[in-house]
Amino acid sequence: MNRKKDKGFESPRPFKLTHQVVCINNINFQRKSVIGFVELTIFPTVVNLNRIKLNSKQCRIYRVRVNELEAPFIYNDPTLEVCHHESKQRNLNYFSSAYTAAVSAVDPDAGHGELVIKVPSELWKQGDDLKVLKVYIEFSLDQPKGGLHFVVPDVEGSMAERGAHVFSFGYQNSTRFWFPCVDSYSELCTWKLEFTVDASMVAVSCGDLVETIYTHDMRKKTFHYVLPIPTAAPNISLAVGPFEILVDPYMHEVTHFCLPQLLPLLKHSMSYLHEIFEFYEEILTCRYPYACFKTVFVDEAYVQVSSYASMSIFSTNLLHSAMIIDQTPLTRRCLAQALAQQFFGCFISRMSWADEWVLKGISGYIYGLYLKKTFGVNEYRHWIKEELDKIVEYELKMGGVLLHPTFSGGKEKDNPTPHLHFSIKHPHTLSWEYYKMFQCKAHLVMRLIENRISMEFMLQVFNKLLSLASTASSQKYQSHMWSQMLLSTHAFLKSISNVSGKDIGPLIKQWVDQSAVVKFFGSFAFNRKRNVLELEIRQDYTSSGTQKYVGPIKVTVQELDGSFNHTLQIEENSLKHDIPCHSKSRRNKKKKIPLMNGEEVDMDLSAMDADSPLLWIRIDPDMSILRKVEFEQADFMWQYQLRYERDVVAQEESISALEKFPTAASRLALTDILEQEQCFYKVRMQACFCLAKIANAMVSTWQGPPAMKSLFTRMFCCKSCPNIVKTNHFLSFQSYFLQKTMPVAMALLRDVQNLCPKDVLNFILDLIKYNDNRKNKFSDNYYRAELIEALTNSLTPAISITNEVRTVDNLNADVRLILEEITRFLNMEKLLPSFRNTITVSCLSAIRQLQKNGHIPSDASLFKSYAKYGHFVDVRVAALEALVDYTRVERSSVDLQWLLEMAQNDPAHYVRHKILGMLCKNPPFTKTTDPAPPFTKTTDSALCNEALVDQLWKLMNSGTSHDWRLRCDAVNLYYALFGLTRPSCLPLPELGLVLNLKEKKAVLNPTIKPELGVGPVMDTPASIGIHGVDPISLGVCGVGQPPLSLKRKAETPLGSPPEPGQILQQQEDDARGGRFKIRLKRRIGFNTMEDEDIDMETVHDSQAFIHHHLNLLERPSTPGKEPPSVEQSMLSMPATPVPSFPKETTPLSSKHGGEHGHHHHHHHHEHKKKKKKHKHKHKHKHKHESKDKEKDRERDNSQAYSNSPASGRSLRSPSLSD
Amino acid sequence: IPLGVILGSLSGGKAATSPAENYHLARRRTLQVVVSALLTECGFDSAEKAAVETLTEMMQSYITEIGRCAKAYCEHTARSIPTLSDAVVTLIEMGFKADTLPLYAKRSQRMVITAPPVTNPPVTPKALSAGQKRTHPAHIPCHFPEFPDPHTYIKTPTFREPVSDYQVVREKAASQRRDVERALTRFMAKTGETESLFKDDITAFPLIAAQPSTIPYLSALLPSELELQTLEETDSSEQDDQTDGENGIQHISQNDDPGADKENAMLPLSAVVPAAKASEDNVIDNPYLRPVKKPKVRRKK
Repeated sequence: MNRKKDKGFESPRPFKLTHQVVCINNINFQRKSVIGFVELTIFPTVVNLNRIKLNSKQCRIYRVRVNELEAPFIYNDPTLEVCHHESKQRNLNYFSSAYTAAVSAVDPDAGHGELVIKVPSELWKQGDDLKVLKVYIEFSLDQPKGGLHFVVPDVEGSMAERGAHVFSFGYQNSTRFWFPCVDSYSELCTWKLEFTVDASMVAVSCGDLVETIYTHDMRKKTFHYVLPIPTAAPNISLAVGPFEILVDPYMHEVTHFCLPQLLPLLKHSMSYLHEIFEFYEEILTCRYPYACFKTVFVDEAYVQVSSYASMSIFSTNLLHSAMIIDQTPLTRRCLAQALAQQFFGCFISRMSWADEWVLKGISGYIYGLYLKKTFGVNEYRHWIKEELDKIVEYELKMGGVLLHPTFSGGKEKDNPTPHLHFSIKHPHTLSWEYYKMFQCKAHLVMRLIENRISMEFMLQVFNKLLSLASTASSQKYQSHMWSQMLLSTHAFLKSISNVSGKDIGPLIKQWVDQSAVVKFFGSFAFNRKRNVLELEIRQDYTSSGTQKYVGPIKVTVQELDGSFNHTLQIEENSLKHDIPCHSKSRRNKKKKIPLMNGEEVDMDLSAMDADSPLLWIRIDPDMSILRKVEFEQADFMWQYQLRYERDVVAQEESISALEKFPTAASRLALTDILEQEQCFYKVRMQACFCLAKIANAMVSTWQGPPAMKSLFTRMFCCKSCPNIVKTNHFLSFQSYFLQKTMPVAMALLRDVQNLCPKDVLNFILDLIKYNDNRKNKFSDNYYRAELIEALTNSLTPAISITNEVRTVDNLNADVRLILEEITRFLNMEKLLPSFRNTITVSCLSAIRQLQKNGHIPSDASLFKSYAKYGHFVDVRVAALEALVDYTRVERSSVDLQWLLEMAQNDPAHYVRHKILGMLCKNPPFTKTTDPAPPFTKTTDSALCNEALVDQLWKLMNSGTSHDWRLRCDAVNLYYALFGLTRPSCLPLPELGLVLNLKEKKAVLNPTIKPELGVGPVMDTPASIGIHGVDPISLGVCGVGQPPLSLKRKAETPLGSPPEPGQILQQQEDDARGGRFKIRLKRRIGFNTMEDEDIDMETVHDSQAFIHHHLNLLERPSTPGKEPPSVEQSMLSMPATPVPSFPKETTPLSSKHGGEHGHHHHHHHHEHKKKKKKHKHKHKHKHKHESKDKEKDRERDNSQAYSNSPASGRSLRSPSLSD
Repeated sequence: IPLGVILGSLSGGKAATSPAENYHLARRRTLQVVVSALLTECGFDSAEKAAVETLTEMMQSYITEIGRCAKAYCEHTARSIPTLSDAVVTLIEMGFKADTLPLYAKRSQRMVITAPPVTNPPVTPKALSAGQKRTHPAHIPCHFPEFPDPHTYIKTPTFREPVSDYQVVREKAASQRRDVERALTRFMAKTGETESLFKDDITAFPLIAAQPSTIPYLSALLPSELELQTLEETDSSEQDDQTDGENGIQHISQNDDPGADKENAMLPLSAVVPAAKASEDNVIDNPYLRPVKKPKVRRKK
């Protein structure tokens, strides 16, 4: 994980994978199942390779053979259920650490895996010549919940006619969900991929399509792909469907695929892809690394863009016709992103998770260069500012984002990000939002590096990396060379220093090795006597998400005589800098004022301070620090900056600053900008909103018509009849965007009664009425949607008579007009749907606003009907957003349940993700602020109850095991609702006094106040494990009660949701035991409790698991199963650290119990820690009760699971005959 | 009928109802008398009525034709009233020896027929004159016919002139569209399932119920037919044209039933490989466009 000082890549595995065959010979759309096999060619790198660990999730494995010999295997996935049901632990710290541990336990980057194959002894006994092993695995997938997504519309006709398709998806390395592999970005191999599909379908996958052959019955055909470039399994993908095929007219090796009927849209949307290709190839001076490229557009996509080796899967919703303006740049951006990732991310892969930032950074950076070239410098700078603002806001709110986490020595003790409620050790434990911010920061840092070493060098570095990789990729039989295709932070930095000769160490240290951003406060005074600008720049580096910056900072001062750059050194917290001014304050001469870009302009200088030559000052104008600057300067300076500074970032900054200066001069400056056609349209759009705010602040002194009205009239209405808008043509896109935005901003105006002025409302209604798009070659759907949004913005709360039911009769006259428009729009949309149903989306949010403001009765049923599966995804999301809001405002537990239900069961992954995300953003209730005194915590919402806690816990614990992203969403939601600690709505543990062994004192705090920020992740739950348990969980996993757990085990029919094909074997346990033993030794005397508690949990986790599998083991048919005697022989082998569960209940348990009894803390506590007597007693008191409860719960669980398809499958263990 | 009856009936006959009719009848009767006289001259005593009628008709045609031709000759020479020479030329033209005419006129046995009773030629009833007739403009000689009544050439609009004021047009278009939309959506709402925003009055703002669709992205992404028309007009599809044809064809052969492909399947072994080599040419060599191969026959061991 560290930035290794040695260059080479050290594989965590005792073997090297060189080639993998994936053959899927049956895809059944009706049953949503897949059957196939894989064959991995591996070279052992150690003598006596006895075990091979691979990744595999949810696959049912029929047989494993190594070099034609049947091989026994274990299938064990601890992430299925993170904490087991016995545990009544409900705090997030505990969960996070358990989850991290579970993910680590199968982490391919550490050489682990869910599937452990025992190499038949005949093979490893052969001696020390390192022979090729061929591992052949037959598997199937039945109704996969992750990894592969089937879209099967429920209509008449064959699967092809119905547009049924299937595609692979996943967050980070998720290929293990659909075939067994080494699911690591750093294990490269060549591939042979074969997919047999219905003759009417096309299978698109990575690499070159070598041939397509009919099966003997001519009803199916097999697509043979060969990928000769070494590629990591996570970069392998598949899409099968009745796709329409479009060969790119400019580049015949590029093929596009879309669903039936969408070919015209595909043609249009792909017509500029070649330009992106040309751009990247030119700047990187490197050919596109793969021989071909495929784009596939699918429905219900997991993310908009996902890149795999030589192909990208996009959401079909990116396709658009030539009539659509707004979608065009968005789609182009997505294509550019996808293509950038082809070079960095797919072709060049990361060495470890800690190096992810380099790849995301480079691909994001070159994508930015594309933006700059295609959309212009203004757009680029605007984008950079937007991204910078985003990351700054996120880090200040949530704490820092760390690009290059180092985990020294693999100890969880050193958690680099204690402020987060999840671990950043694995991509799969990250919150999605964090990951997005991570990518954002990565490319911004790349830009900082560029600032430092120049773009030329930057591109040379990229070129060098690519050339190295392509040289390595052509070494067909020298797989040790392939590690050149992996990029590490170290290699990247080394390359930079080689190419540029510059030391960027401090920069890396500041932004990559450390999290957080810089927060500056600036102010200044002008010393007239000395003619010096006294600038003060302070920093806040104490609040969360901030860090201290030391180093150069650029300050640009615009004076009367010109613009001057100064580089200051920031050395202390608060520092005054004296900057000599070049000009005297002489304003009498009518002289043009030179700007930074060499332009000379006339300015009306009457607003200036007569004594000062300063027009405006900018701190860090180039955004070469990841910072937030709050700078104080006079309003006229901001106004000058807005009018005359040519940089869009400066203009945008001044607009936001002017919000605080509601004066006539600000108004004039903003209006002038609005009218100025040379000005960047996004600046003008922003000015609209600022103007609305200023107008509202000046409401009592405002002169003339409502803000922007006359402006809009002048720009967009007929000369002869100013109340009628011109018929649409949208020829100038800048004007189009302004025309869309102005009404929305105008609707925010309020009069003295705090109502939207009648004038404005009528004006907007007229815009809607006179809107005429018949002669336009562009669609006006986005414009109309914005007009509806304008109507929404004009709404103000109804004058409410208490408890009055909203009826048609008492509807406000204005609202009636609005409602009529909305009704008509929404109804028309059914007959003439607009692109992406933008109008429905706007209408739904308008209706929600009407409800929220008390104009119409609050009701969720409309939104529910629009949220159902079968509506266009944007509509669903809009309806769900309204529902989430409704749930919060009305505190409706029924609707919260409905939402959670959908988050669990909806067929579309994106929608499920979205629901949880929206619930996080707009939670039905919030945790009471910060862990104040624990007993004062109250949550007044009736929604916050034990059942909800249990439900959410279950969701993140086991309900989302098939989708990393969704699980992290659930964790986020849990965090948003309950915080890190035990939810306050749960009954308090009866125990008042608890011993904190760590601090060696008794604490009066049963409701867990974890040592926030002090204890590393693994530490916190440990202590919570002791004092943070309620009576029931005390009975279960509290201090020592092995007899109980043993007994219960015997009764437990089923504990965890079984994974199809899972076969239990026991040597895993031993290995785990061994590891803990070692760990314990290492740490003993230092923090005994910690290890014990962790172990305690794993013990319990394992119990149910083992019990379940003991049942399974009785079934004789599975080939992977080995008689226990063999297991024993395996046990004695030197165990590589395999994470797994200690077993307790097998016949061997007594023996092993002795072996690692000391990590069975139960015994430990019972016998040694007499201090805990009170607890012990307590436990006995509750023993019966808790036992019964446990049993009940288990019964419930077992029923639940036996009803689930997963368990049904695993019980029907597959037979071997094929 | 005895011809004498006819000859004597010249002045008699029943009185016709109208003067115009009277006039025509009188002419006709005169012709009949002439025919009867000629017949008598030739020695007939009586003739069938039909024969008399036929001969009368022939006579009338002959005379009419002479008149028409004479008129034509006269107009040909830019006159308005026929002269003797016109009549003579006409007769000659019709194959009649004009010089025999005086002799024939002076023959002895001819019968003298009394002049037909004077009947005024019918006066065409004066059309109702409406408005003032226009006088000729200066450049038209006064001998030219007068203008007809103004109503025959002045258009009289039967509809109101459309309003061309921009504001009104926009206003009308807007409210018309709004009315149509509202009516349509209300109709749809009334005939189908609805959702309502109010509990007390579910008809107040009826919303057409949201119906989930099986393939929701199609309607959301594809432009409606209405929009599509505009698109086709504006879309410059130069680039598409090159590849479309080929793609289309290839695509069909790919996706269709295997039976149709069997013929193709015979080709690839020989044809596709060289095609791949010649990929530098403009032929698109894309693996997805290649025909599907037939399975190799496996030998059972």
